[in-house]
Amino acid sequence: MVDTIPIDTWIGMAVAIVAFWGVAAWAMIRTLRQEDRKVELLEDQRRIDTYSPRGLSELREWIEANPDDPYRDDAIRRYNDCVEILRATDRHFYEWSESEIERLEPI
Amino acid sequence: MATEAKTARAEWGSRFGFLMAMIGAMVGVGNIWRFPFVTGENGGGAFILAFLILLFLLMIPGLMAEVALGKYTGKGIIGAIRDATGPGTAAGLGVIVLIVNIALMTYYSPVVGWTLYYMIHSYLFTFTGAGFEAGAFLGALFDNPVLMIALHTAVMAIIASVLYLGISNGVERLVVYAVPALVLGLAAIAIRAVTLPGASEGLVFTFTVQWEYLTFSQTWIEALAQALFSTGLGWGIAITVGSYLREYDDAPLGGGVFTAVGEASIGVLAAFAIFPLVFAFGVDPASGAGLTFEALPQVFIEMPGGAIWAIVFFTGFFLAAITSAVVITEVGVTTVSEETRLSRNQSVLGVCGVIWLFGLPSAYSVEILEFGDDTFALWGLPLATIAILVAVGWFMGPERLRVLSLNQNAGIHVGRWWNPLVKYVVPLTMVFIMAVFAWDFRGEDIMIAGMVMLVGVPLISFAVMRYVDGRAEPQTQAEATGGDD
Repeated sequence: MVDTIPIDTWIGMAVAIVAFWGVAAWAMIRTLRQEDRKVELLEDQRRIDTYSPRGLSELREWIEANPDDPYRDDAIRRYNDCVEILRATDRHFYEWSESEIERLEPI
Repeated sequence: MATEAKTARAEWGSRFGFLMAMIGAMVGVGNIWRFPFVTGENGGGAFILAFLILLFLLMIPGLMAEVALGKYTGKGIIGAIRDATGPGTAAGLGVIVLIVNIALMTYYSPVVGWTLYYMIHSYLFTFTGAGFEAGAFLGALFDNPVLMIALHTAVMAIIASVLYLGISNGVERLVVYAVPALVLGLAAIAIRAVTLPGASEGLVFTFTVQWEYLTFSQTWIEALAQALFSTGLGWGIAITVGSYLREYDDAPLGGGVFTAVGEASIGVLAAFAIFPLVFAFGVDPASGAGLTFEALPQVFIEMPGGAIWAIVFFTGFFLAAITSAVVITEVGVTTVSEETRLSRNQSVLGVCGVIWLFGLPSAYSVEILEFGDDTFALWGLPLATIAILVAVGWFMGPERLRVLSLNQNAGIHVGRWWNPLVKYVVPLTMVFIMAVFAWDFRGEDIMIAGMVMLVGVPLISFAVMRYVDGRAEPQTQAEATGGDD
């Protein structure tokens, strides 16, 4: 019979709660808030940017590095769509600066 | 081949619906009885740390790959994998997943039947009635094949009814209520359990950190097995659920991080709920699966207000089981409706009918059920996981999928570190765990059956797709794939 809970057990319980429930709660709240933001932007301007600055930059790098890839046309379409939306809309889902958007060139 | 009569693809009605579908699919009976016990047996907090590392290193990247492929292709498992591999023999990787998925459901449905039976009896206050004896009650159920088959039939009828209503009106409507109800039920039991005299012993058993366990290979193997069986990687669920995502939906945050950590959180909650109860009433914590069906009913007899707690527990237990079963069956329904001339409703009847038919032996005999469980869980699941990750890692190419789909509309950015994990680390880990299981069961019938399955299922799958796709017209885009690095 254990009357008091040792410190090691408290640590284990705290790790379990923070690492699982903490992370799960963070992920759920973050994704639901992002959903609300997307819905708000879509209601306001019908379209939203589809890539973050880093994501779009990596997409462009991939397109340039793979000129013969069978998925290249689809990649270009996705890239150009995002550039066009960024230029056509005032409010963006990802954190884009005006200078970053101005530097973007369609492929 | 799909008919032109098939209309626009269904979508999740809300982000919450998608998240609950993923959690509902992944949380099953194993989260409730297995996680707390394996944790306590393998160093408590140290095991939790090992499990967490493997979750982030293997399971989250794997789930991200599945959801991203489903989202990109907008197809069920065979269609999605065919898009990655190109039509023909290699698309048989998708058939492997389908066969394993349906095989798993044939013995999971009778287990869901047991939970249904126990839930019904909790409402009838059977467990707190005079003269109730848990072992005899379970034995009487197992010795009554007509009742077992009736329960299996009832479960498949419930599943078919939900799936018949469709993705949004059926599956989503079930999971958005059932999963929160399960969490609330377990939370209520946990609060009651930890306040019982003697409950601290259960918490000490489960959560005490024994750091030396991190140096034991057995701790890591158990953590790997738990992570594999509980996250649902390789079942084709994440591909299918991801294929119903909407245009602007994220894949990696919801489908990867939240799903893996969220479903494990239910196991942690179960640890707070079940093991304090078990220790407070002096029940053997090593009862394993029998814990929920034999040991816990005995606890409810002695517990103040036990009849109500039995209702809360067994309702939650049934919800955990039925939501998994519904979404697992959806994998087959989606694929069959896309790959054949059958409509969705005909596919529901066809897939549920096949599972019901092949599930009859498992419903009839617990020995057959356990043999099927051991064979398919130990080798079928890793095999199916390898099939999916070979399609993503070696045919589609992880970098291609990452830049095209995973990071599009993503809630978190996934860097290039993801590529080698999906291409090498996760598949090799699956090979390793299959080898460990084979060694553990060397020479036994389970191992021989597993090896036959490891050879037979891929051979049949590749032959089927070679024949089926050989008769179909080639698809230009898919033909030209072949990895990206």
